[in-house]
Amino acid sequence: MSHIANIIKKELRELLTPGSVASVLIMVILFACLGGLIGDEVSKSTVLPTIGIANYDEQTIETEYGVWNAHEVLKTIYLNSGDKRITPDNVDQFVLTMDKNDILGQMEATGASVVLVLADDFKKNIEGSMEEYGSDAANKEYKKGVIDQYYLYQPAGMISGSISSATTTSIITLMNTSLSAHLTGPDEMLYIDFLKNPISGTSTHTYINGEPYDDVTPADISNALSSQSMFVPIIIMIIIMMIGSIVISSMGSEKENKTLETLLTLPISRTTIVTGKIIASAIVGLVFGAAYMLGMGMYIGSVSSIGVGTSGIDLSAIGLTLSISDYAILGVSMFLAISCALGICMILGAFAKNYKSAQTMTMPLSILAIIPMFVIMFSGWYGSNIMMRVLLFVIPFSHPMMATEALLNGDLTLVLSGIVYMAAFAAVAILITVRLYKSDILITGLSQNKYIEMFRGAGKHKKS
Amino acid sequence: MTDALVLRDVKKTYGQREAVHGVSFSVEEGEIFGLIGHNGAGKTTLLRMISTILKITSGTISVYGKDVATQSDDVRKMISYLPEDAGAYKDLTGRRYLTFIANFFATGEERDRMVEKGIELADLGEKIDSRIDTYSKGMMRRLLIARAIMPSPKLAILDEVTSGLDVINAYEIREVIRDIAKSGVTIVMSSHNMFEVEMLCNRVGMIDQGNLIDIGTPEELKTKYGKNNLEEVFVTAVKGA
Repeated sequence: MSHIANIIKKELRELLTPGSVASVLIMVILFACLGGLIGDEVSKSTVLPTIGIANYDEQTIETEYGVWNAHEVLKTIYLNSGDKRITPDNVDQFVLTMDKNDILGQMEATGASVVLVLADDFKKNIEGSMEEYGSDAANKEYKKGVIDQYYLYQPAGMISGSISSATTTSIITLMNTSLSAHLTGPDEMLYIDFLKNPISGTSTHTYINGEPYDDVTPADISNALSSQSMFVPIIIMIIIMMIGSIVISSMGSEKENKTLETLLTLPISRTTIVTGKIIASAIVGLVFGAAYMLGMGMYIGSVSSIGVGTSGIDLSAIGLTLSISDYAILGVSMFLAISCALGICMILGAFAKNYKSAQTMTMPLSILAIIPMFVIMFSGWYGSNIMMRVLLFVIPFSHPMMATEALLNGDLTLVLSGIVYMAAFAAVAILITVRLYKSDILITGLSQNKYIEMFRGAGKHKKS
Repeated sequence: MTDALVLRDVKKTYGQREAVHGVSFSVEEGEIFGLIGHNGAGKTTLLRMISTILKITSGTISVYGKDVATQSDDVRKMISYLPEDAGAYKDLTGRRYLTFIANFFATGEERDRMVEKGIELADLGEKIDSRIDTYSKGMMRRLLIARAIMPSPKLAILDEVTSGLDVINAYEIREVIRDIAKSGVTIVMSSHNMFEVEMLCNRVGMIDQGNLIDIGTPEELKTKYGKNNLEEVFVTAVKGA
């Protein structure tokens, strides 16, 4: 077995312990369960609530086109809602007639969460307004029929709690449309609709990379892109932080257990030790990162399958899709970002005194991973000002986070320049690491360093 | 006799502080050489420089004619260093740990023979297949000495090898060291335990504040200072230094 393979094998045995694997598996399961929970919550919010309608005397409006009945209209709305639970046989279990004098008691007894109460002058106002229209009176006044909404507050999740009132508003809009058609007649209704919106501006065409596409707007594309790629920076951040923690902790453990001193006196080059540690940590980081991606994929799958966070735009249909070469470039960008992270970690790890101090040293790396994640999630490279762009470019982990958007926009220059920058960054970081491994700092720490001692000496001199 | 180890005017500076001040001595092949001194005297720094893990500020150290500073790769093939309070990879079993180390020195059947030798030296019985984090301090020391001796180094460097061990374990470790020396391995060891050094070492170097204040066989030193044991010799030498 080659020396480097021997180091890698040992590192993998140390890093892939039952404890570390179990903790990652638990995280994956938690992500999957979280997706299921949110899915259930959203599903609950999308079904229609059991509804009551009160004040029977006010429910019917008679015109030359017939009789309009609020209760019947409500039942029709429920039957046409697409809610598969509701059938003509059981619709009366969902749409209930109630007495306006004991709303709370009836809600508690029937489980209805919403009650629509037609005001006492509902019928009078609407019929009076219709008569007013036909009269010769000056300063005509059109009074509307009022429907009061009553809800029964019950502690609920964020999603299902907020959607029930929105559903009721939609129901009242449909009742309005129904009553309008009844009052004006079907032909007149179309004319009124024309009068209200004589201009049609719904036909849209957008040029994407020089090609025109119909029925799509830049906002639709942005929404679709962000809904698909908003998790990429999070996943990259998790991978970087995980690899960082693994490498620095490994170095801290080596120092704490005094195994590093033994390792350094074995007949192997320092470059082999550094490379072996880097490769093993990268493998473990990628395995754990892939596990997180799987968990997050299940979470996103659960949420998006019920229509949350999706825009409904098929990006591949409008040419915004990655080719095989794009994926290869993305892979290179990811690999180099991980190499940069490992280089930084090996440098930080060289200064760790023990396992505990190693944990605190992951902080600078975490900050470097979190900053581009937030900037890219909220404004992206193309929405950032020049200062922010400089910051994003300098932090190597930004590049794979913004590579997808850049490749979809055909901005190969940004991606390739990022790759060149990261390659240089990683090379310099690894060279510094090898130098550190050849120096006394690895054994003695910074406290015995001549520059630190000179600095301390200068400080003492100033004080005296 | 061949010189296994030669130090010439070796100095080590940490920042502006000189930890080792021009130490010179030599150790012959097959000899057990002891370094004694109180905490912070510079023993570990000297051993680390011999072991190639600390840089020499000035002077030279050679192991079997190879310069530690310029031929460190060659030196590392000949030495084995056991640091004070050294540990091993706790998630590995004793056997896996020995195999991990043996892989750097040999392959195939030679590697397997080396591991068997290590297992024999460690003498841990069935515990050799248990995880290292279940070992007592004595068992850990036995494993680490086995690790250090298993590749048949020409020079073994042992720092405070019995530190913190109970009487029985310390006695057994000393027996192991004697056996190793009989097989021709040169040993340089440091210790606080003057009794141990007196019993084991052919020659002793006394270190105080980074200086080598005297060197000789235990008998020579006792005669020179007119004392009955090495402990009294050391105290007299340090106070008189």
